[in-house]
Amino acid sequence: GPYFVAFPNLREALQNNLPIQTQARACTILPSFVGIRFMVHNGKSYLPVTVTQDMVGHKLGEFAPTRKRFTYK
Amino acid sequence: MVHILGVLLRDNSFVKIALTRFYGIGYPTAERICARFQIHDRCKIKSLTPSQITSLASFLASPSTTPLMPILPLASPDYEPPKSTPPMPQMLKRDEVSERRKRDPLVGLKIETELRRQIRENIAHHRMIGSYVGRRHAMGMPVRGQNTRNNAQNARKFNKIERRG
Repeated sequence: GPYFVAFPNLREALQNNLPIQTQARACTILPSFVGIRFMVHNGKSYLPVTVTQDMVGHKLGEFAPTRKRFTYK
Repeated sequence: MVHILGVLLRDNSFVKIALTRFYGIGYPTAERICARFQIHDRCKIKSLTPSQITSLASFLASPSTTPLMPILPLASPDYEPPKSTPPMPQMLKRDEVSERRKRDPLVGLKIETELRRQIRENIAHHRMIGSYVGRRHAMGMPVRGQNTRNNAQNARKFNKIERRG
């Protein structure tokens, strides 16, 4: 089955609209996560990700880029 | 020169090679299609009968809805086909059809415009949810973790939101 992490504060986050901070980028997004705001770690900071219905099969880390865009001065 | 679904096929080429000219058909699928329609592999386009051409065209127009034929036994080497066209073999029964369709690799075949539309929809889906894949397509960069220090030429050519080819 898919890899996912059980978040203890899932229900409160859904009701009170609190963001959940995670470092679990490999966690698959389940249908029960829809509507929750996650703060996904990208190595340095936490980026906000709001889960929608279309995102269900993907992982949390796909929505938090880890590298800065390359610019040549 | 035969037109099937808007694609021109050369008379002198083998049927299974000519079928690869369609976007979405490569060598394995072309061989499967020839086997399905009982066209031998050294057969050229110019030796196809009009009924075979129309059946091929109707199959390629919608591969999932073509009626399935029963699997007929192979002819012996000294079999001579009858001069008049034989009557249509009996259609399969309903349960047999659904069983065959589940295992049939040609049912989900998509060609040309349908395939291009599906690819564009997939890329648009990734872009809409804001995933890494969508971002790379937007930047014209390789999506699957290739090196970008050198050698990203195909990605720069093809990876766009409106991806061509």
